[in-house]
Order: sequence, then C-alpha cells, then structure tokens
Amino acid sequence: MAPTNRRRGWPEVALLDVDDIESYYGESHILEGVSLSVERGEVVALMGRNGVGKTTTLRSILQLTPPRSGSVRYDGTELVGLRTHEVAEMGVGWIPEDRRIFSQLTVEENLRVSVPDGSDVADALSVAFETFPILDERREQAAGTLSGGQQQMLALGRGLVGDNDLLLVDEPSEGLAPQIVADVADALAATASETTMLLVEQNLPLALDLADRFYVLDNGRVVDDGDADAVSADDERLRRYLSA
Amino acid sequence: MTTVLDAAMALLLQTGFVDGLIEFVQPDVLVEVVVRGLAKSAIYIMIAAGLTLIFGLLGVLNFAHGALTMIGAYLGGVVMVLTVGSGTGPWARLALFFVAMAVVFGLLAALGGSIEIALIRPLYDRAPIYQILLTFGVTLILEELVRIVVQFYGLQPIAEWQEALGTIPVFLDTSHSLGPISVRGLALFEILLGVLTVAAIWGFLTHTRYGLFIRAGSEDSEMAEALGIDVRRVFTVVFALGAGIAGIAGTLLMWDQVWGASVPLAADALLPAFVVVIIGGLGTFRGTVVGGLIVGLVDATTTWWFQNVVVTWTWLPEVAIFLILVVALIVRPQGIYGVEEVGGH
Repeated sequence: MAPTNRRRGWPEVALLDVDDIESYYGESHILEGVSLSVERGEVVALMGRNGVGKTTTLRSILQLTPPRSGSVRYDGTELVGLRTHEVAEMGVGWIPEDRRIFSQLTVEENLRVSVPDGSDVADALSVAFETFPILDERREQAAGTLSGGQQQMLALGRGLVGDNDLLLVDEPSEGLAPQIVADVADALAATASETTMLLVEQNLPLALDLADRFYVLDNGRVVDDGDADAVSADDERLRRYLSA
Repeated sequence: MTTVLDAAMALLLQTGFVDGLIEFVQPDVLVEVVVRGLAKSAIYIMIAAGLTLIFGLLGVLNFAHGALTMIGAYLGGVVMVLTVGSGTGPWARLALFFVAMAVVFGLLAALGGSIEIALIRPLYDRAPIYQILLTFGVTLILEELVRIVVQFYGLQPIAEWQEALGTIPVFLDTSHSLGPISVRGLALFEILLGVLTVAAIWGFLTHTRYGLFIRAGSEDSEMAEALGIDVRRVFTVVFALGAGIAGIAGTLLMWDQVWGASVPLAADALLPAFVVVIIGGLGTFRGTVVGGLIVGLVDATTTWWFQNVVVTWTWLPEVAIFLILVVALIVRPQGIYGVEEVGGH
C-alpha cells in the first residue's frame, strides 16, 4: 500500500517538484537554488521575512518570472519553457498577494474568466458560490466595490472554479483587519479541503494551523523545513528567520 | 460697469451674435444641428473605437490607425467601383456596400493581425515610445505605398476619389424632409451604422467569452494570463479587430464628401480619433462613445455658428474640437471614464 497524506488520506505523490531554481529580476539575483516539493493533497507553507524570495518562488513556478536555471516539474511535466497560460491550463492556480481581482468586472465575471474552456460554467461557479455564499449574494456587484475580505474570498473562489489541482496562495491575510483574517482563515481552510496548496504567509499561527509542512526561505535560499505539527509560532527555530 | 456691458452688447450685435442666437434656438435649426452632430459623432466613434480597444488592452497608441482607416476607404472604393455599374440600382448599391464593408473588415483585420505579430509583439517589453515610433513609421510606409498605387492607376492621391463617391445610392446622396427639417440621407445612414457598430462592439465585449477575456486583460493582462488566458493571442485578435473596425469606418468615409478616399485621410481621421479617446478616457469604450458624442455635437454646433454667423472663419470648428481637448486635459486629464493607468503587459 502506498504511503498516504496524514490529514486527508491521499497518496503521497509529489505534485510539484521545484529543484534548484535560480531566478532574477534584471540583474538582481533573487532565488539562489531553491528546492521544494508539494505532495498531492498537502498544504505547504512557505515562510520568511519580506524580500527573501517567497513571491518570486511562486512567480517562478508560474513562469511569470521564469527561472534561468533549475527545474520546476508539475505532475511529472517540466514547466520551465512553458508560457504562463499553459501552466495555468495544467491546473496551477495563483491567488496573488494583492488579490488582483478585476475591479471593473462583476463578481460573477471574475469567476467566469477562470472557468477553463469546455467546462460547465454553472457547475464551476456553483463550487465557488457554495464555498463562499457571500459571492453568490454579490454576484452582480462590481468586484472593486467588495470589502478586502470579500475580495480575498473572490480571489480564492477564482482559484476554485479554475478546476486547479494546485493553488499558489500569496499572503492572503496581508492588509486585512484582524476580524477579517479569521474569515479568510476559514475560507482558506475551505479551499484547502478541495485542493493542494502552496501557501506564502507571514501570519505564523494561521500558516501553521493550515499547513502540513513548511519551508523557510532566507536570502533566496531554503534554510529550514519540516512538519508543521513539530513547531509552534513561538518556536525560536522559526522566529530567528521570521522576526524583523 | 454699464459702459462695459453696453460695449459688449454693441459688439455682440455688431458681430451678429444675437441674431445668430435667435436663429440657432429655432427648433428646426436645433434638430438639424443635432442630427448633423450625431452623424459626425457616429463617424468619430467608428474611427476611434478600434484605437481605444487596442490601447485599452495592449497599451499601444496606434499611430497607424488613421492609415488603416484610409486604406479601408480605398479598398471599400475598389470593391464599389468594380461592382457598381451605371445601371446598378440604389438598393443593390447599398447591398454591395455591406459586401464591401465585410471584405474590407476581413482584409484590414488580416493586415492588423500581421502588423501586431510581426512588428509590435517584439516591442511589448520596451518603453511605449518604441511602439509609438514603430506605428508612426508604419503610417509613413502605408501612406507612401498607397500613394504609389493610387498614382499608378492614374488617380490624384490628394483629392477625394470621385469615382468611389459616385457609387453612393441616390437616396443617401439626397436630402430628405423630416417634418420641418431637411437631412441628407447619408447623415441618417452614418448614424444608423454608428449605432450598429457601437451595439456590435458592446455586445461582443459584454456578452461573449472572448469579450470577457479582453476586458479582464485590459485591467490586468498578467493576472489574465495566470488564469489560463492566452493573452498574446487575445492581443493579436484585438489588434486585428481594431484594424477591421478602422476599415469599416474608412468604407463609410469613402461615401462622405467631407472625407472621401484620399491619402491625407490618414491624418484627417487620426486627429479627431485621438481627441475623442483622450476626452472619453484612453482605453475605455464607454468613454469613446461619450467622447465621440461630445466632439460630434460640438463640431456640428460650431460649424453651424461659423458658417451662419462668422462666415469668414469656417476653419474654426476644428479649433473648437481642440479647445475641448485642452479643457478636458486641464479639468480631467485621464478623460471622462479614464483611470490612471490602462493596458500594459
């Protein structure tokens, strides 16, 4: 019998395998040999201070900032060299740091954009509306008029209707009021029950509560990794890399 | 104070302003000016629509848009001149016009798509000035190519192509009485075609999946790409669409004596199109419609005034359009519906 993921009982198969990638912005060397893996059904937290390369790692996986060397394999397929929309079509969804919803489109249109060609639109939308009923109530509303928390739910909903097997979620609690963060945590938990997730999050209690495993980045390198259950938010092992 | 007011009133009476105002507010004059204004608006909107779609998504200010309109006018003229004979009836001419429109749309869309793929695509990662210089260069090349071809066939490139103008159906070339006012058939046709074009573009943008992709890509093309949209292909389609719409506008202008098919049409069409999209807000289709209405109605009003009151200053209506532009840039530089930044990749 194949080993299974502890939380969900899914088989432990590396869905995403990032191997020794080096990424740059112009001449600035951002990622210096980052390697990590995410198994199917897992939530993996990617943590670290501002500017250490967390967002760049997600952008490199999506080929928005293609690595100059190294390998990114998704479900056995090499992503380096593909265009971003091809990566997305393979089932990799992105919920970016500043949400980047289409503010002039309605809530429903934002979700429709994400529905893959050939999929049943009504079925796809119902997944998001069942997970986040508030989106159903506001479906005709311009997305730019939603509150920050609702926009985050819309961004997560966009990831759900995209029929993605892997979601790359970047700082979902950033900039939100504490009471809204609790709602977003619930939304993330609901989303995580549907899909595999690589989560960038500086809110340690939130990240560790959701994650099965974690990686810590510092200066463009992975400096620590382990089981989320084995550490706490107050753990010096994490604090030394995450405190300003 | 009284002296100043008296002097101002005397000046207004002397210049015929008061008499002009009394005549202008007569219902038949007002309606006639509005109809002419709407016809001008329809033309401006049709010319500017492609420009704004392209800028909205690609962030490219296409200086070749006027040249594409001019080529559309000539190609439309070619179809009409080749197919219309002296015995062709007015309804058959109208039907052939729509055939010409479809042919021109297809050809211009193919040309536009090719220009985007071959010339503009390699420059997306560069500063906007490169795209401006490129499309300006394309304009010069297209204009000179058309000039060579037109002269080869014995036509005068500066003058309107009379043979093409002559293919207009008689009911569009004559004036019709609508109650107390008299309106040229072509003006009504231009309004109708403008409404149909706006409705078609609006319907495409708001009721089709591709239209949704375009609107999403116009806001944030990187995010759209990350959601699985092949933004590069959407760019090509939109550039082709914009060029095709420019061709449709050109085909219509080929019948209008004020414009006509000629090489200078490239610049003549480009300038008001820029004014319209800047007033409405660069890259917003709704803004282009409203901007086109404003410019068309102001143009018709000032044209009436300077033709009926200040007879010797007939060039002033064009100045009025640019005065609106100056006011718009001072009061609301991003345009009526514009946002600070649009397009981008």
